Amino acid sequence: MSVEDFNFEIKEQWCPGCGNFAIEMAVKQALDELKILREETVIVSGIGCSGKTPHYVNTYGFESIHGRILPVASGIKLANHKLTVIGMGGDGDGYGIGMCHFIHSMRRNHDLTYIVHNNEIYGLTTGQTSPTSIKGTKTKSTPQGVIEKPVNPIALAISSGATFVARGFAGELKHLKEIIKAGIEHKGIALVDVFQPCVTFNKVNTYQWWKERIYKLEDEGYKPDNKDKALEKALEDEKTGYKKIPIGIFYREKGPSYEESVKQLEKGTFFEQSKKEVDLRKAYEEMM
Amino acid sequence: MVEFVFRIGGQAGQGANLTGRSMGKVFTRGGYHVVGYPEYPSLIRGGHNVYQVIVGQKKVNSPVQKCDLVIALNKDAIFYHKDSINENGGIIYDSSIDLTQFKLRKDIKLYPVPYMELVKKAGGTARMENTVAMGATLALCGYPLEKLNGVLSDEFARKGEEIIKQNIAVAKAGYDYVIEHHEADKFPVKLKVIKHDKKLFMGGNEAVGMGAIKAGMKIYSAYPMTPASTVMHYLASKEAEYNIAVKHTEDEISAVLYAIGSNYAGVRAMTGTSGGGFALMSEALGMAALAETPIVINVAQRVGPSTGMPTWTEQADLKFVLNASQGDFLRIVLAPGDIKESFFMTAEAFNFADKYQLPVLVLTDKFLAETHFSEEPFEQEKVKIEKGKLITGGLPELEPKKRFKRYEITKDGVSPRPVPGTRGGLHVASSYEHREDSYSTESFSMRAEQVNKRNRKIENILKEMKKPKIYGARDAKVALVCWGSQKLPLLDAVEELKKKGIEVAVVHFSYLFPVDKEKVQEVLSKYEKTIMFENNSTGQYAGVLKEYADIEFDYIVLKYDGRQFFPEQVREVVEELKKEGFKGKNEIIHVNEREDLEYYNPAKYGL
Repeated sequence: MSVEDFNFEIKEQWCPGCGNFAIEMAVKQALDELKILREETVIVSGIGCSGKTPHYVNTYGFESIHGRILPVASGIKLANHKLTVIGMGGDGDGYGIGMCHFIHSMRRNHDLTYIVHNNEIYGLTTGQTSPTSIKGTKTKSTPQGVIEKPVNPIALAISSGATFVARGFAGELKHLKEIIKAGIEHKGIALVDVFQPCVTFNKVNTYQWWKERIYKLEDEGYKPDNKDKALEKALEDEKTGYKKIPIGIFYREKGPSYEESVKQLEKGTFFEQSKKEVDLRKAYEEMM
Repeated sequence: MVEFVFRIGGQAGQGANLTGRSMGKVFTRGGYHVVGYPEYPSLIRGGHNVYQVIVGQKKVNSPVQKCDLVIALNKDAIFYHKDSINENGGIIYDSSIDLTQFKLRKDIKLYPVPYMELVKKAGGTARMENTVAMGATLALCGYPLEKLNGVLSDEFARKGEEIIKQNIAVAKAGYDYVIEHHEADKFPVKLKVIKHDKKLFMGGNEAVGMGAIKAGMKIYSAYPMTPASTVMHYLASKEAEYNIAVKHTEDEISAVLYAIGSNYAGVRAMTGTSGGGFALMSEALGMAALAETPIVINVAQRVGPSTGMPTWTEQADLKFVLNASQGDFLRIVLAPGDIKESFFMTAEAFNFADKYQLPVLVLTDKFLAETHFSEEPFEQEKVKIEKGKLITGGLPELEPKKRFKRYEITKDGVSPRPVPGTRGGLHVASSYEHREDSYSTESFSMRAEQVNKRNRKIENILKEMKKPKIYGARDAKVALVCWGSQKLPLLDAVEELKKKGIEVAVVHFSYLFPVDKEKVQEVLSKYEKTIMFENNSTGQYAGVLKEYADIEFDYIVLKYDGRQFFPEQVREVVEELKKEGFKGKNEIIHVNEREDLEYYNPAKYGL
């Protein structure tokens, strides 16, 4: 196996310089290094530029609908928890229209890796404000500047009960790959929010803009084992007026995943159990 | 034929439903055919709840408008049901209730029973008043207490021996009291045990749940909504026994997508809801259609639009389920007409979904979903599992950088479907129009080919859509036509009409869509006059049959007040039409309740 084995014949159709290329590469490298078989991997996406990713990584995939990655991925995982299931969405997809699923998936703890391509803008619909656009950002739908405050996905995930919360940057491929690897290996929900510059529609949050502001948590000797500290770090960007933005693993806790807590799965996956014939005689007795 | 009809009524929370259901079992075990029919407002306390038990020596199918006995758990029950009591019928009620406020007919027999006093004397505890009433009822109709004792032992098995003993003693106290203090022998209804019987007594929702379990469903993902919630409750109670998972999700959008995800992974899953929840599922319905991922959705209709009347029944979501979601796509709609069909058609829905890789809707309604019926155990060995072109192994290796032709253009429109985990089957299930190898496309020719491929499935589907079933006098000139649950009152009406010398057939549609024009025309053309009965205000299926089968009905009879048809109402309509010689053509008849007894708001009657 090599990273090339994950390639599909079609070339990616993203803008040159798009942050998505790095995310796609990081996922391929992570799968390759973890020696996860292509046929045992499912990448689920929604709608948006990120939604095209499953086509470019030659595993199983599901291109679903806008904002609905997590329930589709959760259903796949509950049905066959031996599969590696990775969700791939955008900031509009996951933090806007799909927010309800986001919060509940964080507390539910299915063993999924959820990678959010966060470019703080709506790209595929040609540049409107996103839930993560910083207050005041001028876009096609907010020509006078965004009035509301941005969603803080890291803080929200931690407070919603997520067991692995991290953030990467498309300009730091190796670092991103390591985070994604850790996310896949984590038993439970793993949120990997990725700063991913949209070179066409976001003229504010550029590679340069992020490079000047981000720093790696681990470089400061930060340990992601304390929820209070994690929340403090999650709020740092906002507190510093987006002058200091940490990336890396904010929070990680061990505990049983959703699948590990479902007693009915002790006998194997539902997929494996599906072959068994059912006898209803006992159920009839109860109704007599 | 109906032998005995009684109603147990009280405030929400007084247990009329549970008590009624137990009584239904009591008579089912004695060899009778029973229907148990709950009516209740959307309230947890207050309002008025009633459960009607209809007992027959021969098959009974439907609730009726009149009853022989009212078992009043509070005084409101007397007010609500006094005018429905048959001549010489009676009321069992607590001795403390002052009856002077009600203008009761003279022929009605009164059976006051001191509920709480008897409970205490028999060593029972509070909440056992209903058991007193059950015992009292059996004393009146001369039915042995043993059957009730058996049901109480089973119902309270989990609460322990002591509670069972107390309930049995309390039931006996109610029984003995009536024998000692009232002229029980003069009560017009007498029932004995015909045989010691083992039939099911259960509701449509439970039958849907059982059908799904039998079909090998492993995941039921849903969000609570009346009247679908008891499917969820039933399946949840069976999680351990049948190793299935019920996932109560954050909303119906998530519920349907969990099920679609699971089906994609090769594990049968289902969701269930009512109209409002289904509205939220609409977008995913189209996704399943384009991705060609199987999905079974149970839609238990209630009164709409919007919140409507949550606990009442209607058949008004048919056109919605037929048309929900953007774009043209094929779906199958099944509408079982009784609990047996609810069981078998739910199981069949999974086969259709897997074989044709599209959405299958099982359309029920509050009436069928929550009414209980006695029935022989379903012949479960008749359920066959067919998964069509599902692939779980044995594929050749893919060439580098290639994908499996998941959406291969095939003659029958169905393409091979490998599940994740299968080597050589890599593909993307896609909501975007796609090429054969699943990559997105906007090629005009491929788009048209894929649409044609999906549409071609209809040829084989139509072969599996069974003809409408004919009941009653098959060769009569007049046919009463219906779909789904309305078969039940129509079947009982046929018997009533027969007694009056009017012979009619009942034509029942349960394979609603797609419509096989030839089959439909073949069946309906046999009749000179056709009368469609629908539980909605616009004749939705009549419209569908006109569009797809060029059928026009002579009459369309509509009811949309929150209740299903009663056999008496059907009989009256047909009698009237006979009088005028069935001369109508395309005529619409509205049959709503004449009485206005609202359970939601007893205060408006000064209660």
